[in-house]
Amino acid sequence: MAGIRRQWTPAEADNWSKEDWIAVILSCLSYVGILTGVSLAFLLRWQGFAILVITAVVTWLMFRIIDPKLSVLSRDYEQKQREYIERLEKIARWEGE
Amino acid sequence: MVTFTIVDWFWLATYLVLMIGCGMLFYRLGRRSESDFFLAGRGLPWWLPAASVYATHTATDTPMWVTGVVYRHGLTGLWYTFFPAWCAVSAFVSTRIFRRSAAFTQAEWQSLRFHGLGSELLRGWVAGWQVFMNMFILGWVGIAMGKVCNYLFGWPTWLGLVVFSTATAIYVLAAGYWGVVMADFQQGLIAFLMIVFVTVIGIWGVGGPGAIIGRLQELGQAWRLNPFHFTGWFSGDFPVAWFLTMLVIALVGGLGMGTSIDWYVEAQRIQSARTVKDAAYSIWAGSAVTLMRNAMWAPAILAFFVMYPNISEVSQYELGWFRLGFELLPPGMVGFFFAAIVAIHLSTISTHLNLGAMYGTRDIYHHYINPQATERQLVWVGRLVTGILLLGSFFFGMMMENITQWLIFALWLMAAGVWLPNILQVVWWRFNSWGYLVSWIANLGLSWLVVWILPAFGILPELPDYQQFWLLMALGAAIYIPVTLLTKPEPMDHLVRLYVMARPIGWWGPVRREAERRGLIPKTAG
Repeated sequence: MAGIRRQWTPAEADNWSKEDWIAVILSCLSYVGILTGVSLAFLLRWQGFAILVITAVVTWLMFRIIDPKLSVLSRDYEQKQREYIERLEKIARWEGE
Repeated sequence: MVTFTIVDWFWLATYLVLMIGCGMLFYRLGRRSESDFFLAGRGLPWWLPAASVYATHTATDTPMWVTGVVYRHGLTGLWYTFFPAWCAVSAFVSTRIFRRSAAFTQAEWQSLRFHGLGSELLRGWVAGWQVFMNMFILGWVGIAMGKVCNYLFGWPTWLGLVVFSTATAIYVLAAGYWGVVMADFQQGLIAFLMIVFVTVIGIWGVGGPGAIIGRLQELGQAWRLNPFHFTGWFSGDFPVAWFLTMLVIALVGGLGMGTSIDWYVEAQRIQSARTVKDAAYSIWAGSAVTLMRNAMWAPAILAFFVMYPNISEVSQYELGWFRLGFELLPPGMVGFFFAAIVAIHLSTISTHLNLGAMYGTRDIYHHYINPQATERQLVWVGRLVTGILLLGSFFFGMMMENITQWLIFALWLMAAGVWLPNILQVVWWRFNSWGYLVSWIANLGLSWLVVWILPAFGILPELPDYQQFWLLMALGAAIYIPVTLLTKPEPMDHLVRLYVMARPIGWWGPVRREAERRGLIPKTAG
C-alpha cells in the first residue's frame, strides 16, 4: 500500500497521522456496509451480498492500516501505565494534587 | 398468554443456573480490589469487553424499539438504530485518549482534564448524574421485563421486574465486573444465536425472502426494501435533514467523550481492556455486532409486516419480534426463546448495577467521603451501592409510566446542548471547567425553554427533534464560549501532564509546545 506507513517508532506512533484518519473513514464505511449489507443479504438480495463483500475488504484494509501503529503505541504506553495509575490513586485520595 | 411445557421450563431453569453460576464463579477475583470489582483488574482481552458492549446494548426493550421504527419506516428505519456508529470514530480517537488517561470513570476524567474547584464540581456532578441515570435505566429496562412477563404468564408487572433484577444482583454483588463481563459473554452468544434463529424462522414462516418481496410489491409497499427511502429534504416524517443530523451527532460525536448516553457503559469497557489496542478493537467490534444485530432484526420485522400489515397501535406492532418467536417456534423451543430474552435482560441489568455502583464508590465515597478507604472497604461499599441501586430501580420502575416525559427531557440534557462541549473538552486545550459547567447549566434552562415552554406559549413553533438539536447547540455555544474565553485557562502544568499521558487530538498547540520545551515529548519534525 503506497503512501501508508507500516513501520513506527513509539514516539512517531504517539502522534496523530493520516493513517488514523484513513482508518476512521474506512471504519465508518464498514459500519454502513454492515447495517445495509446484512439486512439486504437476509432478504437474499444481490445488493446485500455485494455490499458485504466490499465491507469485508474495507474492514480488512482498515485493520491493515491501523494495526501496526496501534500495536507500537499500545506496547509503549503499557510501560508507563503503572505510573499513571499511581497518580490517579493520589488524586482519589487527595494526595499531591 | 403462552403455555410452557416441561422442556420450556427446563431451558429457562438451565440458563438461569448457567448465567448466575457463571457470574458467581469469579467471586474470588471480584473481591480482590476496587479495580477488580469495577474493571476486572484492567486485564481483559478485546473480545470480552466487545461481547459485553454488544450484550449490554441488547436489552428487553431494544427489539421493541427496533421493531417499531422498521415497522413504521421499512429498512430506512434502520438509520434510527445507527447511533452506535459513534464507535466507528471513537474506537480510533476518543477511546485511545480515554484509555491512555487510565481514569476509572468519566467523572474521574474531569479531575485529569480540569483543575481546582471547577474540576471537583464537574466530578461530583457527573458522578451524581450517573448514579441517578443508571438507577433510572435499571427501572426502565426492568419494567419492560415486567411487561413481557405480564404478556407471557399474566404475572403482575412488578413481579417480572423484581424477580429478574434480583437474580442478576446475586452475581453482580458477588463478583462485580468480573461476573458482569463473563456472564455477558455467554448471554451475548445465546442472544445472538436466538436472533439469527428467529429471523430465519420469521422469514421462512411467510414463505421466504421472495414471498416477502412479492407481498410488499402487491401491497404497494416495495419502498420498505430501500434503506435510503427518505420523505424529502425537510418534509415528511423521515427527511434527509434528520438523516444528516444523525450522522453528524454520531460520527463527529466519536471525537468527544460523553456525546452519547452509551459512552459511560463503553468507558468502563475501555478501561477494563488490557491494552490501548484491545480497548480500540473491543469498542469497534462490540458496536459492529450491535449494528449487525439491528440489521438481522429488520428482515424479520418486514416478515411480520407482511403477516400483519395494518396494525396502527404502536404498542401492538412494537411486540412484532417477540410475537414471531412465540407464535412460530415449535413447542419446547419457546422456553429457549424466553431464556434468550432473560439473557439479554440480565446482561443489561448487570452492567447498570455495576456501572452505577462504580460512580457511587469511586467518585463519591472514595474521593469525597473516605479517601483513605482500604481496598476491602471499597469492595464492600461497591456491594452496598449495588444494593441501593437495585432497590431504587424498583421504585423508578413502578413509577415509570408517570416519569417517561421527564426521562425524555433528561436525555435531551445528555444530547443536545452538551454535545459540542463534550467534544471541545477533548479537542480544544482552551476549553475550561467553567465553560463546561456553564454548558450543563445553560442546557438545563434552554432545553426547558425550547422543548416545552416557548412552544406552549406560541412564541416558538414545535420544532422537529433534529431542528431542536441545532437550535440548542447554537444557543448553548453563545453562552459557554464567551464564558470560556472570559475565564482563565486551566494551569499549563496540569494540561501538560494530561497531554503527555493521553495525547488528545485537535487544537493543543500551546500545550504541545510547552511539553516539547520541557523535554517531556520529542520535538515534532519541522
